[in-house]
Amino acid sequence: MTFSPSERTEVLNGVENITNTILRFLSNAKNRISGCLDSIDPLVSIGVELSEKAAIDLKNRGVKVKHITEINKENIHHCKELMQVFDELRHLDGIKGNFLVSETEYLAIGFALHETKPVVQLVYSSIKTIVKQQQYIFDTLWNKAIPAEQKIREIEEGIKPEYFEVFTDRDRERVSQILFDLAKSVKKEALILLPSVKSLIRVDRLGLIDNVIMASQKGATVKIICPLSEENSNITRKIAEKAPGTSVLNGNNSPYGMYIVDSEKFLKADVKVPLAETFSEAIGFCIYSNSKISVESFRSIFDLLWNEHTLNEELKRADKMQTEFINIASHEMKTPTQAILGYSNLIQRHPEKRDEMLQAISRNATRLQRLTSDILDVTKIESKSLKLTLEKFNLNELMSDVVDDYRNEIEKSNSDVKLLHEPQKEIIQLEADKNRLGQVISNLLGNAIKFTKKGTIRVTGEIKDSKVLVSVKDTGQGIDPEIMSKLFSKFVTRSERGTGLGLFISKSIIEAHGGKIWGKNNDYNANSRGATFTFSLPLVRPGKAETGTGTATGDASKL
Amino acid sequence: MKEVMRTITRNQRILVVDDEPDLTTVFSMGLEDNGFKVDAFNDPLLALAEFKKGSYDLILLDYRMPNMNGFELYTEIRKIDDKVKICFITAFEIYYEELRKKFHLAYDNEDIKLIQKPIEIDELVRQIRGQLAS
Repeated sequence: MTFSPSERTEVLNGVENITNTILRFLSNAKNRISGCLDSIDPLVSIGVELSEKAAIDLKNRGVKVKHITEINKENIHHCKELMQVFDELRHLDGIKGNFLVSETEYLAIGFALHETKPVVQLVYSSIKTIVKQQQYIFDTLWNKAIPAEQKIREIEEGIKPEYFEVFTDRDRERVSQILFDLAKSVKKEALILLPSVKSLIRVDRLGLIDNVIMASQKGATVKIICPLSEENSNITRKIAEKAPGTSVLNGNNSPYGMYIVDSEKFLKADVKVPLAETFSEAIGFCIYSNSKISVESFRSIFDLLWNEHTLNEELKRADKMQTEFINIASHEMKTPTQAILGYSNLIQRHPEKRDEMLQAISRNATRLQRLTSDILDVTKIESKSLKLTLEKFNLNELMSDVVDDYRNEIEKSNSDVKLLHEPQKEIIQLEADKNRLGQVISNLLGNAIKFTKKGTIRVTGEIKDSKVLVSVKDTGQGIDPEIMSKLFSKFVTRSERGTGLGLFISKSIIEAHGGKIWGKNNDYNANSRGATFTFSLPLVRPGKAETGTGTATGDASKL
Repeated sequence: MKEVMRTITRNQRILVVDDEPDLTTVFSMGLEDNGFKVDAFNDPLLALAEFKKGSYDLILLDYRMPNMNGFELYTEIRKIDDKVKICFITAFEIYYEELRKKFHLAYDNEDIKLIQKPIEIDELVRQIRGQLAS
C-alpha cells in the first residue's frame, strides 16, 4: 500500500532548503496555522523565518495563526512581539518541541549546536493521518494552555501562577506531602478546620501540628476548629503549652478537612475513611489550589464557622457568669439578711443582749448596703453610665482618712496586723472624684486586711513623673497565680466572703480618671510574701490641658 | 411526764457549722432557746477535728466555707458517723438544686435535707424537729 503522490514525508537539511520549505508551507496554508514553540528562543524557531512580509501575507489571506509557548521572564519581550504577529498566543508550563501544523501539512524543526554553529533539521509531512495526529496533539495542548496576556500579567506583577489541582484517592501520598509542605510553609496565618476528633491525631502524626506550633511561635496566627474530646486532649495540651497564642475551638464533625495557609493556598480533603489511622488512608477527593477566588471563599467559610463558635463560647461564658453572679450575689445578700432576721427574732427573748444584737444588726445592714451599692456600680459601669463628680482636694488627706477608718477596725478586731501610714504634710492636689477614689483606696486596703493574717500593711502616696502613685503593700498570702491574669475581672475572688466585684469597680474608677491600676506579688523573702496594689493617676486629667477650662469633660460630667 | 420530756429534749444535740460568726450565734441561740444543746464552729476543719461518733443527733451545715466546703465536710463526717442526721443550710440560689442532685448521686439516693437561708428562727426549729422525728 502506498500513499497518494501528493502525500509524503521528508527530512530536510541546509538553511536554504529549510527556509524554502517553511515559506512554501506558509503560502500553502489556507485557513489556519497552529504551532508549538520552545521557550528557549521562540524567535529563532519562527521569528526569523516568518518574516514580517510573510505575516502580512498570511493576514491578508485570512489565515489564522495560533501558537503555544512557555512564556518566562527571559523571553517575555519576544513573546510580546510575537503577540503582534500571531492571532493568538497561549502559554503552557514546560512545553517542548517546535512544530507547525496547517490543514494539509506538518513541520517539525530540530535545532542543535555543532561547535557553536547552530544546525537545523526539518521533518516535513503531508501525510493526512500524521497531519491529523499532530493537529490533535496541538488542540489538546491548546486547551490546557492559558492566554499569553494572563501569563505576562502574572510575570510582570509578580503573581504566582494559579493552579487548581484535583486529587482522587489514588494520589493519597501526594496529598499527604502537600499538607505537610503547606504546614511547613506557614508564615502569617494558618486556618485549620478538622473534621473529627481522630483527624487531629492523624494530622499530628503527619507533623502538621508541630509545624503550625513552630509557625505560631514565630508570630503566625493559628486558628484550629476541631471536635475535641479526651482522645485528642494530649494534642490540644501540647498546643496550649508550646504555642499559647494558638486558638483551638471545639467544633462539630464535618465531612471534610480544610487547610488555608497565608490566605494564599488551601487544601480541602474529603474524608472517606473516618476511623483511619493515617491521613493518607482517611482522605478521598481533594482539592489543592492557590486560586484567589477559591482561597477567599474557603476563608470566608472558615471565618463564618470561627465567628459562630466564638459567639457560642462567649454566650456560654456570659451564661456561666450570670449564674455565678446570681449565686454569689444571692449568697452575699442572704447571709447578712439571715443575721438581721435571726437577731430580730432573738432580741425580745434576750433583752440583756439588746445592744450587742443591735450592733450586729447594724453591721450586717451595712454589709448589705455595701453589696447593693457594688452591684449598682457594676450596673453603671456596664451600661457606661458611671459618672465622676470632680472636686479639688488633697489626696494625702483622703488617704489618711481612709487609713484611720481601717485602723479603728483593726484595733477592734485585735488582729495581728500593723497598718503603716505616715501622713504627709505635702499637699497632693487633685481634681478628681473624691468619694470614688476613697472607695478605691478603701477597697485595696480592705483586701489587704482580708488576706493578711499578721504582719504589716503599708499605704504610700507619691508624685513621680507627673503622676500620682498610690500603693498598698501587705505581707499577706499574696495573689494566687491562678487568678493573676483575671484579677480585675468580675467575680474573681479567692475569698469565701465577697463578691469579687471590688477590684473590677476600682479598675473602672481609676480608668475613668485616665489612670492605671495593677497588682503584683512582692519579691519573696524569708519573712513574708504579700502583694502590692498600685494605682497611678495623671496629675492633669487628660483632655483638661487642651480645653483649659475648669469644667469636667466627657465621662466626668457632673451628676 | 414533764421530767421525761425534758430528758428527751436534753438529748437532742445539734452541731452547727457556718463560717459566719453572726450566723452561728443566731442559730445557736435560737436553737438553745428551744431546748436543744448546741455546739457551733466557724471553721469546718476544726469542726471535723473535734467530731466524735454519736455526739450529735443532727448537724446543720453551711455550704460555702473556706478551707473545706459543706459537701467535703459531709463526706468526712459520714465516714465517722453514718447515723447522724445532716441538714444543709445554704444561701445559694442555684446550687440548691445542684446540691440535691449531687447528693442523690453520691449517696445512693440518700435524700438530703436542704434548708434555704434566710429563715426565721421558729421555722428553722420546726424544720429541724421535723427532721429529727423522721
